[in-house]
Amino acid sequence: MIITLILVSVASLALGLLIRLAKGRGLPGRVLENPAEHMRAVDLEAFRNLVDPDEEEFLRTNLPSAEFRRIQRERLRAAVEYVSCAAQNAAVLLRLADAGRRSSDPATAEAAEKLVQNALRLRLYALQAIPRLYLGMVLPGARISAVGIAERYEQMTRLVVLLGCLQYPTRGVSAAL
Amino acid sequence: MSASVMLFYYLWIAPHVLEGIVLFAMVRRGLHRQFPMFFLYISFEIAQCFCLLAVSRYVSYFGQVYIQVYAVGLAVSTAIRFAVIYELFCHFFRRYPAISGAGKLLFRGASLALLLMALGLAVSAPGNTPAASLNDATYVALRTTTFAADRAVSILQGGLLISLFLFSRYFVLSWRSPAFGIALGMGTFAIAEFATTALRLYVPISNKVFDRSAMGIYHLCVLIWILYVVRPEPEFRFELKSLPTYDLEIWNQELERLLQQ
Repeated sequence: MIITLILVSVASLALGLLIRLAKGRGLPGRVLENPAEHMRAVDLEAFRNLVDPDEEEFLRTNLPSAEFRRIQRERLRAAVEYVSCAAQNAAVLLRLADAGRRSSDPATAEAAEKLVQNALRLRLYALQAIPRLYLGMVLPGARISAVGIAERYEQMTRLVVLLGCLQYPTRGVSAAL
Repeated sequence: MSASVMLFYYLWIAPHVLEGIVLFAMVRRGLHRQFPMFFLYISFEIAQCFCLLAVSRYVSYFGQVYIQVYAVGLAVSTAIRFAVIYELFCHFFRRYPAISGAGKLLFRGASLALLLMALGLAVSAPGNTPAASLNDATYVALRTTTFAADRAVSILQGGLLISLFLFSRYFVLSWRSPAFGIALGMGTFAIAEFATTALRLYVPISNKVFDRSAMGIYHLCVLIWILYVVRPEPEFRFELKSLPTYDLEIWNQELERLLQQ
């Protein structure tokens, strides 16, 4: 009887989850109306500094062990925050570019397609980087490599600029956002 | 004919008649080329229903022959349902090649994990079954095995579809209406089937109650498919609006700064 209750509870939860996932398909439509409202500022340089192995090595050699671990945890916590922001921005841009893919202008559609693929890669990378950064918090001595995400983010923002220029040649980049 | 029997025949026949509408709409919209496995699944379900009706009417009512035909039909139908789920995964990854590798990994990983879970539950399932209409040991064994296998498959299929929904949610992937409807219907059916087969194996309630609830859920799933397959895809009109000046300036500065790095 207990097994039955567990199985039925699992099934009810699964059904609830399915309905919830089906109801809220991705980001709300209002994201397209005002994407900038849903985007968060990401300081790329600060992020690079936080995950820079040389910087980490410098801190490791110049700080007492306990102090290094404390500071490294703080640095990685901040890095997680940056990655989360970048991933959130990628989600907004993804939604925007996905809509742009249907553009009748082939150049706009192509730029949007590239942006979609880059934003997806960024989110995929974030999915892998965040657990690694958390692992680094648990084991502050372990080497964590997340510099690649900075390059991916840069590449993505370049595509946003391109998409903005293609869609609004007279209004500039910001119109796409 | 009592109301209960009428309800039984309605729940048995009506969904399959409604599936005819799904087939017609799919052909009309060219969806049978996009989702050939789903088209095959619906066609098979219709054929199976009328085959079982004929067996129950002219051969063995709901006896051993019926159960054998039902079990074979269920096995084929289950295999096609897996193909439909794989088709849905492929449908997504064709549109988003950047994540096709991760998607395939998810499909394999989730399949393996769910298979282990399903096997664990199948092994722990009780050997006895609720009282059957016939005392034949083969009949009882076949029936028990069929329901246990059906439950294991439901875990796999429901889990895979939830994984697909979670995956698309994380990556903010847009669903085309028919694909979404097919996945939603399949997922609802698999999860409800899991719950009813679990109850059937462990709780001694009349099989009639389980049969009718399972048939009712299937009816609901067919209505979901009709809704998404028949309904034309909503026209997507998207126009970017200009933002307040301060937002534009902030974003221009941010993008310039990032591009200069």
